[in-house]
Amino acid sequence: MYEPRIIAFLCSWCSYTGADTAGIARMKSPANIRAVRVPCSGRVSPELIMRAFDQGADGVLVLGCHIGECHYDTGNHRAAKRIPILRSLLTFVGLEPERLRLDWVSASEGERFSKIANEFTATVRTLGPVHWRISPDKQQAVSHMLAVTREAIPYPDTDCGAKTDAIRQKARELLASNQVSCVIGYELNRRGRTRPVFVYTPEETSRLVWNPDCTNNLTNYLPAKLRLVKGKEPAKQIAVVVKPCDSKAINVMVAENQYRRDQVYALGVACEGIRDLDGNLQIRCITCQEAVPIVCDTLISGTTSSFIPRLSSYAREEIAELQNAAPTERLEFWLSQFDRCIRCYACRQACPMCNCPACLYERDDSTFIGLGIGLNEKRTFHLGRAYHLAGRCVGCNECERACPMNIPIGLLNQKLAEEIEAAFDHRAGLTIAPSPIVTILSGEYKEG
Amino acid sequence: MNENPMLPMLGKLVEVRDLAVEIKLFRVEMLNGGGKAFQSFQPGQFAFISAFGLGEAPFGIANATGRGPTIDFAIARLGSVTTGLHELGEGDIVGLRGPMGNWFPMKKFKGKNLIVLGGGIGGAPLRPVIQHVLDHRSDYGNLTILWAARHPSLLVFTDEYDEWRAAPNTALYLTVDSPDEKWDQNVGLITQLLEKVSPPMENTVTITCGPPIMIHFVTKMLQEKMRFAPKNNYVTLEARMHCGMGKCGRCNLGEKLVCVDGPVFNMEEVGGLLETFM
Amino acid sequence: MSKSNPDKKRWLISQAELEAWLDGIANARTLIAPRKVSGLLLYRPVAKSNEIAWQGHTPESPQAVRPVLSVKEIFFPPTERLFTIHKSGQEIRLEETYPDWETVVFGVRPCDARGVKLLDALFLDTNPIDSFYARRRGNTTLIGLACTEMGPTCFCTSVGGSLDDAHDMDIMLYEKDGNYLAEAVTEKGRFLIPGGEWKETNASPQQSPESGQFPVPKKEKWVERFNDEYWMQISERCLSCRVCAFVCPTCRCFAVRDEMVKPGEFERIRCWDACAGENYRRVAGGHQPRAEKGERLRNRFFCKFYYYPEQYGLGAASACTGCGRCIEFCPVGVDITEVLMDLEKPA
Repeated sequence: MYEPRIIAFLCSWCSYTGADTAGIARMKSPANIRAVRVPCSGRVSPELIMRAFDQGADGVLVLGCHIGECHYDTGNHRAAKRIPILRSLLTFVGLEPERLRLDWVSASEGERFSKIANEFTATVRTLGPVHWRISPDKQQAVSHMLAVTREAIPYPDTDCGAKTDAIRQKARELLASNQVSCVIGYELNRRGRTRPVFVYTPEETSRLVWNPDCTNNLTNYLPAKLRLVKGKEPAKQIAVVVKPCDSKAINVMVAENQYRRDQVYALGVACEGIRDLDGNLQIRCITCQEAVPIVCDTLISGTTSSFIPRLSSYAREEIAELQNAAPTERLEFWLSQFDRCIRCYACRQACPMCNCPACLYERDDSTFIGLGIGLNEKRTFHLGRAYHLAGRCVGCNECERACPMNIPIGLLNQKLAEEIEAAFDHRAGLTIAPSPIVTILSGEYKEG
Repeated sequence: MNENPMLPMLGKLVEVRDLAVEIKLFRVEMLNGGGKAFQSFQPGQFAFISAFGLGEAPFGIANATGRGPTIDFAIARLGSVTTGLHELGEGDIVGLRGPMGNWFPMKKFKGKNLIVLGGGIGGAPLRPVIQHVLDHRSDYGNLTILWAARHPSLLVFTDEYDEWRAAPNTALYLTVDSPDEKWDQNVGLITQLLEKVSPPMENTVTITCGPPIMIHFVTKMLQEKMRFAPKNNYVTLEARMHCGMGKCGRCNLGEKLVCVDGPVFNMEEVGGLLETFM
Repeated sequence: MSKSNPDKKRWLISQAELEAWLDGIANARTLIAPRKVSGLLLYRPVAKSNEIAWQGHTPESPQAVRPVLSVKEIFFPPTERLFTIHKSGQEIRLEETYPDWETVVFGVRPCDARGVKLLDALFLDTNPIDSFYARRRGNTTLIGLACTEMGPTCFCTSVGGSLDDAHDMDIMLYEKDGNYLAEAVTEKGRFLIPGGEWKETNASPQQSPESGQFPVPKKEKWVERFNDEYWMQISERCLSCRVCAFVCPTCRCFAVRDEMVKPGEFERIRCWDACAGENYRRVAGGHQPRAEKGERLRNRFFCKFYYYPEQYGLGAASACTGCGRCIEFCPVGVDITEVLMDLEKPA
């Protein structure tokens, strides 16, 4: 019979003592469990759990104090919220959900510890060896395609002259009256490619354009320009051209105290969708429900194009298809996707939410992830990043658009957005509210 | 087949001791005859030390050839590799690649007065200069050492100050930014000390190493207040490096590579670079 | 002007002959060729010639004539193990492992081959020789395929290349009326050509078109403009990602660190790095000499046209091959050709 290796993260105050209690009472606990003592179940970051699986653990058990009994008051609230989200992410990428378990054991519950440990070990034993670990000699994953073929929706001819004029006019007003120091918008370069532009004077506003290729989420530039520094006056207001999806990022950043709402002047553009380089409607736009920006100080409307039909559940089909596949197939699919990654960090840099001054996955002293551009590191990076965006990702999908290697990163974000909505009734950016997984539990919490 | 230039030689730590707070002296003796490359090295050269399992990083060699069979390094605990090194003790094995880079032209300095300005851990690559001068005392004129640190507990090579002071025509001046109760030497920045000491600048070269900001202000004072020629003002620069052989591309200052074109430059050369070292 | 050698021995072969030849090569060695991987064109090992993507298409540019990543990744892979460290107690043992397979790369475009040549200047021609690069280079034969047209972002002709430059190949193929003209450029290449089976010919390849050339600023111009506000302006949109460097055939910066394989066993690896990253120059003490993204982006352009040629003796040549990848894949539309044209204009 297969003897699994199990890592148990035990909270020092309750569960670790609980395990001791079980030992003192001579209750049987499986020898498969390697206990790691942590100060609190809230300390068990997703990186620790992924690292355990990467290093060959067949199962990970996280035990904390019962809700309401946390030594740090609400540390276990975070575990209660985060670990189920992480589990759904890991499941989506091919781990059997039974391999990660979160439960509560108090200091006196030796028997309960023993029961959970035995149960969990038995479950993992039945599952057999984990497929998650990538052996060092595995060079390249085979290419694996989804059965869902994306039917392209051609983008119709659109005259955006009226919007361009409106943006220029408003930008000119804002700059001339000194209300804003800079307008971030779009321009055409000499190749005719649309790209971000920073306009500082009324004269330069003639560079600004609007067209169906305005793909960049320009709010990405705001934190660096507006970041609040203690003891310093907030930077002057900046105007930014936003689409409905982009605008939500402002709400999230304001909720996270990156800048104040009144530092931003949102030039919201009513959006018919953005096209990709093949001239088709972008994937992100197909499921988009918003035509008008949620955060908006002036609405720019008036396009002569007909409204483009949107299929209501397009990308979700891919999620559903993946979920119906066997865990090993899901794992193969994602490994074949991550395999192409070159760790250029374009996804992270293009993301308005990824604004940490030093990324956890790039730090020189990071013990969570290696420096190598190998399959293991790439998977950890993408899963970790998706997890860090849970409840924060506004679905602008710039990460996927910026990726030179066509990795469907957006699927991970969308999957987690669905999970967060189901669990917490939260959609990122609709209001000024932080991700529910960084806040404490509210209302009744049912164990189990 | 070509040898792997990234493969370090093994050396044994024969002595590890505290020099200052979070700064340790590491003395390495090469194993398996690997010492050949390290049998002679010049003041100002550097080497990569491996803390196996963590990585490697470049450090200025802190002793002069001829001062015993070891290669010395003074290392502050700052990043992951240095933290790993600080956890090692006598008898542990480290890897060494080097010696690398250019050096202070000690031959050219013969017959001249030397002013050595060291700030904090920047004193490490200057120790071989001091040792070299003391070992060939009659070849050089006056040696003035200006030694600075943020705090008395961060001064390096304190146990050697008596040796330095006792040498003929040699003077040592110490300064710290913030003193403790026992401190009876100068207080203030090294530039203030330089102004106060005001050594005669004829037939003199200066050698400076410290944080970039210190190099910047020392240079400024020498040039603007003391009218000292930049070409006689030698500095050794730090840069992040991952190979030390001009391959990894990391340490460039404009078209120059600190690892192979440096780390020793005179300020005339530095002034001619496109990029600043700051 | 065509850069093919008029005196070279040439063969005229059909598509079928070419495929049969490549199948033979794939049987005996590792054959790497442009291949479609999830909709992308990449250099990947192929077992049979029918896996080769003969016409490169990516969604980004339907006429793309080259894979997303250059052949650089074959000689200078994203991650390379430099040696293995065995640690037990105080004992340390280092073990070297080298890549050891013979490889033939088919479908190399002239810009990529020139990129390899430029990397040679650093890894092979400047001491100490990089043993890993040297091994891979020595074990690899490059079969070039001349371009028939410039892609939308290509500008090789402006930086000293041409669509049919055979110089840096071992064998060069030219498409000719549905057939191929094959030319052995080096001894190594000649060795791969099946002498008796192929029909020799006196035909010479068509002259490659040269259009859309623009002047590239000389070194003095770069020096003059170093402290210009221009760099801060154009970099404002830069995301400080590393796409441009990683898709570049000549960007070669790397980082080195040890990684644990299992308890007691580590490997020292080097992997791609890029000067655009914020972390790139930060020293352990926290000093960050290139804190502004404008300084970092400037470094990349200067490296291509000034630093690298100076450092590795390229003379007046640039370290840019004009493949246009950085233009194509930049998420925010930074365009190297725009920079070159702007520098030519008076400040």
